[in-house]
Amino acid sequence: MNTDLNIVGKRVVRSDSLAKVTGEARYTADLRLPNMLVGKVLRSPYPHARIVRIDLTRALKVPGVKAAVSGFDAYGIKWGVFRYTQDHAMLPTDKVRYIGEDVAAVAAIDEETALEALSHIKVDYETLPAVFDPIESMKDGAPQIHDEHKNNINIHVHIDVGEVDKAMREAFIVREDTFKAAGEAYAMMEPYAVVASYKNGFLDLWMPNAGPHVRAKALSNLLKMPLNKVRVRHINSGGAFGGRSEVAPADLVASLLSIKAGRPVKLVLSREENATSSRQIHDIIATIKTGMKKDGTIVAKDYKVIYNGGAYSSTGPIATSIPFYVYEECYRFPNVRYNGYRVFTNKGIRGMYGCHGRAFLAGNEAQMDLMARELGIDPAEIRLKNGLTPGEVTATKSKITSCGLKETIETASERTDFKKQWAKRSRNKGIGMGCVAIMCGFPMGFRSGSSCYVKINDDGQVTIVTGLVDNGQGNESMVIQVASEVLGIPMGDINLVCADTEVTNLDPGSYSQAAAFVGANAVKVACENARKRIVAIAAEKLGVAETDIGLKDRMAYVVKEPDKKMPISWVVREAFFRGDPIVATGSFFPNIDFEREWVSRPWGQMAGTFSFGTSVAEVTIDPETGKVTIPRFTAAHDCGCPINPMAVEGQMEGSILQAGVATITEGNLWDKGHLLNPDLLEYKVPLACDMPEMDTIIVSSRDPAGPFGAKEGGLTVRMNAYSAVACAVANATGALFEELPLTPDRVLKIMETKKGVKK
Amino acid sequence: MILPQFEYHKVQSVAGAIALYRKYKGKARYCAGGTDLIPLLKQRLSAPAAVIDLKGIDELKTITRRKGVLIIGANVTLFDLKNDPIVREHFPALFQSLDATSCETLQMRGTIGGNILQDTRCIQYNKSLEWRTSRGFCFKMGGKACNVVLNAQACFSNYCSDNAPALITLSAKVRLKGLKGERTVDLEKIFSGNGKAPFTVEPGEVLTAILIPLKKTEGVYEKLRVRDSMDYPLVDAAVSMAGGKARVCIGGIGPAPRLYVIKNMDENTIRDTADKAYADAKPVANTTISAAYRKKMVSTLVKRAIKRVLKEGGR
Repeated sequence: MNTDLNIVGKRVVRSDSLAKVTGEARYTADLRLPNMLVGKVLRSPYPHARIVRIDLTRALKVPGVKAAVSGFDAYGIKWGVFRYTQDHAMLPTDKVRYIGEDVAAVAAIDEETALEALSHIKVDYETLPAVFDPIESMKDGAPQIHDEHKNNINIHVHIDVGEVDKAMREAFIVREDTFKAAGEAYAMMEPYAVVASYKNGFLDLWMPNAGPHVRAKALSNLLKMPLNKVRVRHINSGGAFGGRSEVAPADLVASLLSIKAGRPVKLVLSREENATSSRQIHDIIATIKTGMKKDGTIVAKDYKVIYNGGAYSSTGPIATSIPFYVYEECYRFPNVRYNGYRVFTNKGIRGMYGCHGRAFLAGNEAQMDLMARELGIDPAEIRLKNGLTPGEVTATKSKITSCGLKETIETASERTDFKKQWAKRSRNKGIGMGCVAIMCGFPMGFRSGSSCYVKINDDGQVTIVTGLVDNGQGNESMVIQVASEVLGIPMGDINLVCADTEVTNLDPGSYSQAAAFVGANAVKVACENARKRIVAIAAEKLGVAETDIGLKDRMAYVVKEPDKKMPISWVVREAFFRGDPIVATGSFFPNIDFEREWVSRPWGQMAGTFSFGTSVAEVTIDPETGKVTIPRFTAAHDCGCPINPMAVEGQMEGSILQAGVATITEGNLWDKGHLLNPDLLEYKVPLACDMPEMDTIIVSSRDPAGPFGAKEGGLTVRMNAYSAVACAVANATGALFEELPLTPDRVLKIMETKKGVKK
Repeated sequence: MILPQFEYHKVQSVAGAIALYRKYKGKARYCAGGTDLIPLLKQRLSAPAAVIDLKGIDELKTITRRKGVLIIGANVTLFDLKNDPIVREHFPALFQSLDATSCETLQMRGTIGGNILQDTRCIQYNKSLEWRTSRGFCFKMGGKACNVVLNAQACFSNYCSDNAPALITLSAKVRLKGLKGERTVDLEKIFSGNGKAPFTVEPGEVLTAILIPLKKTEGVYEKLRVRDSMDYPLVDAAVSMAGGKARVCIGGIGPAPRLYVIKNMDENTIRDTADKAYADAKPVANTTISAAYRKKMVSTLVKRAIKRVLKEGGR
């Protein structure tokens, strides 16, 4: 750790903690605007049906109803993240494609009235055959969900590096397995909510979101309004986990209602609606073929992965790719072929997820352990052998700069006495390891970079303005901490204006793990530019060279003679007198290959840097019931440099629960198109009492381009914790899993029918 | 989800409650802790004109001993009952079932009377009105089919009280007071076996007390669930033993708990009981876990519970 630092690297109390623990922090559902109406949505009861007619007239006659809309009140524009994925009208006029899809909506003076009005909307449907299983959906003759996608194949990502077939033939050992995983629910603490307020030609919006600029752009397109008239405002967010990256149907619905009614409209989704009708998570079938040399070196990988995408494209090209990339960014694959198919079905829309791809990642890791065991190699060793090291280039041509993978494997192993525990496995006890690497930012066009404005106010306090977004993980506090370090001004003296499209510049948002590496870097550069101005005046006033000036605790001082000093506020006032107040800007744009495209050109530098991590799970299995418990979980994460170690540990702990413990509890259940567990009783999110004893280890690899060496703060655990649990269960049972989650019935089945090893 | 409109009355006496019930001509629901009723109302699974709140009836909040019987007022919370020294000392199966019920916050709200009279559950039943309308109404909602089992003639919803099976093993009785007076019946007799209307309790009857013979037992409660911090049982087994005889009760599968009496604790009898319980259990795919697995776990839990009682006496 750099000992010169005063604030960065310290376990500071997050700037948002007090408001959140006292309940003072405001979320979208807390907002109360004058004359505000309540919005409610009528949803499709059918998985697939043609819309013949929507009649709102009776609903509009209900006293207290101020507006009613359907897709016929919108502009017929379809949204898509990419030009080639524009298929989502948000309020459809042709047909409905899943149960729970938004069909029409009302705004009324209260919730009872709105509910009453919904019952008076008449929709005539002509039901169509529906398909729910991606394998069925790809067959000829299956119901066609979007006319332009034959066999319902929404996205096909094809990557082929080296000579896979040849390498497989020459491999000492080859194994092929298929792994499945149920889709998950985001289960954010805050169900989705939007407030839209249309006035004087301006539309103001509040909603939990991961990037206000992309949200505003989408709405400006959908509503045919100039971008400057659509203003997404800052509000606290009760969790996103990838599920709030894109514009939501509720955004369009609330906007249309507010424009019609001329009054603000608040639309709050119920827990059930949040599960059925916002975003869901892909269920996955991953077929993994691996070839290894006798010494355990992976020579080839051949993948076929099917993602059940639900009714619309959403972030499809990205979702179809990410599980592969986070794996190839971790291990050396001289020959690799990946065929990822995202398939439309008549289920809710699937988006990106912080723990995305568990069938693929846990499958890879568990299979590797089994192959290594056959070769007499333990899991830690095989990972060290195949893991990437600094300076190497991934199969799809991303250069790895800083890389602490080795350190994470070694520390996590030491702390758990891994090798010994792994070797003495029993039927009831197992230990497993999972590794992964995470891109810190990825290609998002001109939105890949971030900018920050900083101004120093007359009492020496600071205002920083950035597009950065906080979805609860502590990004706001993080950049305040960075600014505090650079400017020598306490965190409490720094005001942050962020995530407001009117006053902030573009930023990747709380998306693609770019906040620390990109967003905080821009803040750091802006503050350094402001610092130069402060230092210049202080040096002049104190009669020393600029290089001799330090800033700390609101003071500018002479480094060699700390008693020689002056308050920064005096410097600032001097600058005002000179008619040249201290304001500065700063930007950061990561080193990414922008020719790179998810489908058409899947190679080139993916991100400015990558984080690395290793998780170790220890499990016990009840041999009679198959029930798995996780008494202890260890996670080591290379975050480059922890700006706030306490916040990084918090992220790691949350990830252990959300990805690790969830491996034994979480999964969406379906009866055809009906989601059977859209509630938090039957969808089993692990709770505080389900937490294992946790050991979180921060590894600092000091990234050369990261702010103070920082990368992202904890996502590796979200994408390797399930691998650790699956590998631990495989260690105990001696067999691979077929499907996640590892509920007791499945584990009992594994124990009863051990899978044989194929050669 | 907001509550539907209803009249709300908080009463001070059982007689007052029954009088109100009569006034609303049966279109009223009694409410104690509310942890079962309120979600049912929010999901429009019940639409009473009035809710009669029993929480204010002080006489139902006491635990007393009389003539070798422990009389537990129906308003005693699960948390208070769990912390009662007599329960801990005499009825380990009940202590364990109370401890396994939901989470402590809800144990502090939920009452033992309400816990016993909780409605049966099904993954296709406990859903919003919108969800159920889309799926189509089942038997329990007044429809003409079961949404879980094709061509079923009856409702297979599960009775999920953790505590009723434990109480049944303790030979508990319940006291009911209604329009026609007061009666005391064996707890296992209040179940109709019909998932649509799972209790034989008469309209307007208030469960006022639970009566347990006050003798020391050894016992165990075994509950299978996916999430330890808070979950209904997928299947559960309670065993209480005294004087070399045991009573075993299986819950969580189907609309009524099933009681088995073991008169002699030899290995064959125990195995036969487990086999009988297994054969009797008719789980269907109405929880988050497969029916075949739940059936299999019936005998596993029975054997395990009995083994634990014999080994550790349930402590």
